[in-house]
Amino acid sequence: MNTAAGSLPEPLRGLAAWSPRARFRQWLQNRLPPTDTWVLGQRNVYILPTRAGLTFVATLMVMLLASINYQLNLGYALTFLLAGAGLVSMHLTHGNLRGLTLHLRPAQPVFAGEPAMLEVVVHNPGNERYALGLRFEAADADAGLVWCDAPRQGQASVHLSLVPARRGWQPVPTLMVETLFPFGLFRAWTVWRPAARVLAWPQPENPAPALPLGTAQHGDERASRRGEGGELDGVRPWRRGDTMRQVVWKKVARSGELVSRETTGNAQRELWLDWAEAHAADPEQRLSRLAAWVLAAEHEGLDFGLRLPGRELPPGQGDAHRRAALDLLALHA
Amino acid sequence: MFGTFTMRAAHLPRETRDTLFHLGVIAWAIAPHTLHLPLWCGAMAALLLLWRARLALMGGALPGRWVVVGLLVLAAAGTWWDERTLLGKEAGITMLVVLMALKTLELRARRDALVVFFLGFFLVLTHFLYSQSLLTGVWLLVAVWGLLTALTLAHMPVGRPTLWRAGAVSARAAALGVPLMVLLFVLFPRIGPLWGLPNDAQGRTGLSGSMRLGGVASIAEDDSIALRLRFEGRAPSPEQMYFRGPVLAAFDGREWTRGRSAFPPSMQPQLELAVRGEPLRYEMTLEPSRLPLLPLLEMTPNRADSAPQLPGWLPRQRADGQWQLDRPLHERVRVQATSYMAHSHGPRENIVGLRDFVDLPPGANPRTLEWAAALRNRPELAAADARTLAQAVLRHIRTGGYTYTLEPGLYEDNAIDEFWLDRKLGFCEHFASAFVVVMRALDVPARIVTGYQGTDAETQDGWYIVRQRNAHAWAEIWLEGQGWQRVDPTNAVAPDRVQRGRSLAPAPGFMAGAVNAFDPALATRLRFAWERVNNRWNQWVLNYSRSQQFDLLRALGFSSPSWEDLAQMLGLLLGGSALAGALWAWWDRRRQDPWLRMQRRVQQRLQALGVDVKAHHGPRERAARLRSALGEAGASAAALLDALDRERYARSGRTAPPGRSWWRSFDTALPRRLKVAR
Repeated sequence: MNTAAGSLPEPLRGLAAWSPRARFRQWLQNRLPPTDTWVLGQRNVYILPTRAGLTFVATLMVMLLASINYQLNLGYALTFLLAGAGLVSMHLTHGNLRGLTLHLRPAQPVFAGEPAMLEVVVHNPGNERYALGLRFEAADADAGLVWCDAPRQGQASVHLSLVPARRGWQPVPTLMVETLFPFGLFRAWTVWRPAARVLAWPQPENPAPALPLGTAQHGDERASRRGEGGELDGVRPWRRGDTMRQVVWKKVARSGELVSRETTGNAQRELWLDWAEAHAADPEQRLSRLAAWVLAAEHEGLDFGLRLPGRELPPGQGDAHRRAALDLLALHA
Repeated sequence: MFGTFTMRAAHLPRETRDTLFHLGVIAWAIAPHTLHLPLWCGAMAALLLLWRARLALMGGALPGRWVVVGLLVLAAAGTWWDERTLLGKEAGITMLVVLMALKTLELRARRDALVVFFLGFFLVLTHFLYSQSLLTGVWLLVAVWGLLTALTLAHMPVGRPTLWRAGAVSARAAALGVPLMVLLFVLFPRIGPLWGLPNDAQGRTGLSGSMRLGGVASIAEDDSIALRLRFEGRAPSPEQMYFRGPVLAAFDGREWTRGRSAFPPSMQPQLELAVRGEPLRYEMTLEPSRLPLLPLLEMTPNRADSAPQLPGWLPRQRADGQWQLDRPLHERVRVQATSYMAHSHGPRENIVGLRDFVDLPPGANPRTLEWAAALRNRPELAAADARTLAQAVLRHIRTGGYTYTLEPGLYEDNAIDEFWLDRKLGFCEHFASAFVVVMRALDVPARIVTGYQGTDAETQDGWYIVRQRNAHAWAEIWLEGQGWQRVDPTNAVAPDRVQRGRSLAPAPGFMAGAVNAFDPALATRLRFAWERVNNRWNQWVLNYSRSQQFDLLRALGFSSPSWEDLAQMLGLLLGGSALAGALWAWWDRRRQDPWLRMQRRVQQRLQALGVDVKAHHGPRERAARLRSALGEAGASAAALLDALDRERYARSGRTAPPGRSWWRSFDTALPRRLKVAR
């Protein structure tokens, strides 16, 4: 398991984006078909000598000159042996990528500003592949690399972390897979434009104002707030769908059986988280506040509904409900 | 001991292990240089590498840049002290070794490691300036393998790959590169030096045109081949083969040179070569000596039927009988000539020009001159002629307690005095020059001839081999009415050296001694086997040169090969191999996951039987469909598929597809309809 951090590239970074080089890159990337499964072959693996490779050639030249001038037959042999090995290493470097299939697993949604884990599975139908480096195309050439080896006819997975800067569907930036193996004289690489997107929820406001409990509809007077009446809550055996937070871990530890807190009381309270009540200047800030409230309400174990201009999520609770609420916030137009 | 070491190595952190391996490789690559580099250089390199190893083991911090620079300055000062220069071969190699060891103290980033590798490859090359023997070749092949392995290791950042794994990868790359290496080695045009002669490449032979006494304490046994020679008719015995090189007439007390005559050319003695007896036709291949001369058999007259035939060159015979070339010999050449063992040369009358050959430097070697005067004053020699005097001196050499040795030690000023009267240890140069000095002191014209004498005892395919260790120096004295006569004073003290054409064998090494004591016959066989291997090595690898390249082209059908043909052919073959590489890559593109390929083949077979299977069906699903479609007829084939499925999806499932035997049983298990369909 290998991980590395990356960040979304700003689509246009001032004038730099208009340099011919950047435009060429953009053009090249736009030509690439977006796909989540990338098969490396002759058409999409590129190879060029590295700086070390050029130095190697210069060294060989000097060695050849020395051999010629001193008429050293073994010198010739050595020079040509190294030249042969260097040339073969070009094929080995290219072959180290060729034939691999890369697959990007769907990523879990995250809050904006938090790292999302992208898992790339490298499927290797051939012999062992060594030192495959993955990075985002825009990342730093050396620091951003995550290395992996792919076993013979096996798989390896690489984790890249992506920090979405904004909420909403974020495209996975162009990836680059490269290798210098075995001698570092050549660098083979491929540029891969994944089709997958990462959903980024709005960043929760921190610190956030208290939950707008004033608007909670007191449907039933028996309802008690958690914390006050914690002891009054009954316990029952764990049922599918109970959240981890409902599990009474102390009892579990003692008895060895999974038991959950009876939360019928809380279910009676309905809290509406309303766009109109999240007083903030900026719509993004409102969304952040609502996201923070969603988390707080979930933490309190309250039934909550979400009301956005034009959209409404009926009250409910649980993991799926929380996700639905956050998704709604993330995709709010 | 070794076991515990490898156990400990297995527990080292990867970084430490890699560094130690790297240091080991560097030490291995430097090691042979310690034989000829200054002592301090080897010691400094060893200490630096040990220091770096200690730092790696203890996890200490690397020294700062200034420490490294300081050490480098120190090394440069040491080199300057030894060599009086920082350029040139010896100084350059000394600095390279120190630099290599110092650079290990800076192994921080990948870039530093790469510098060490490239320095390392160059360092390996420098060894060949000293020796190109088979042993050196093997030693350095290991060094190259080590360097490539360390390079591979530096490019395997994941986990902890074993050294064997990295070694296998690098060996594979090198092995795959061997065809290309052979191609380049065979066809890369051998051209002469690109710029002026490397000065230090000269003087390997004894034929450099000057001879310095006391300059060297010992001469190395240089086994490299100087020339090969084959006779058309009967061959003379090897001890009679004297190959004439530069003739040295001027002596300044330390050094013999050709010198310049004090007389105008018309008064200098001419060659006046007269030959008789049977002509000896011979063919000779000469290794590049980097000197503009042909050491031909004595004496080869300058006549149309006997002068050396050497297309493209302008050989010319000097008045002293030596054959000169118009430019230095930088390639292997083949020459045909005729010589006569029975000959006489030089003026028959005592002409004035001969006075050049009785000159002695004033004041040098006074005791030898006194010794000569005393000899002359002996009553029985008072009226003796030159021949009698020479015999008397040779008798003195034979009986005077002189010893022939390759390691006479250093002689200081008045080297002849010291040799002739005190130490009495020397090799051919000492004997020849002392003899000439004494003869000149006795007023007999005399001079030194350098060249080769003798050959290997055994011929190879009828070729006599003359090696650098056969380099020899002898004397010529002028006799009234007869001209110049060869006198070999070394013969008087070490007839063995002259007769067998072999210099004194060095004392056998420890191992050789042990084998010898154990089984002399085995020792002899081993020695012969080794010499045969070595001969092959010399012939096929070390002596491969332009003429062999042209021979090869001729064999391939080129009528008049030139180096342009070589270049063209090389280009063609390289282009072809590049194309082959591209084709291979293209073919490789179509290669599939073996499991998927197996799945496709099974699918094809089953569909031919009318079983409806899809690409995504696993073996078990296919087995089920096979059973339902064909019933009992497909049961055994279905069982095979089931077994495959179980194996594939077991906890430690197989990843490789089934082999040929599985296919054979699968095909037999399938109902006959398929076989008809095929």
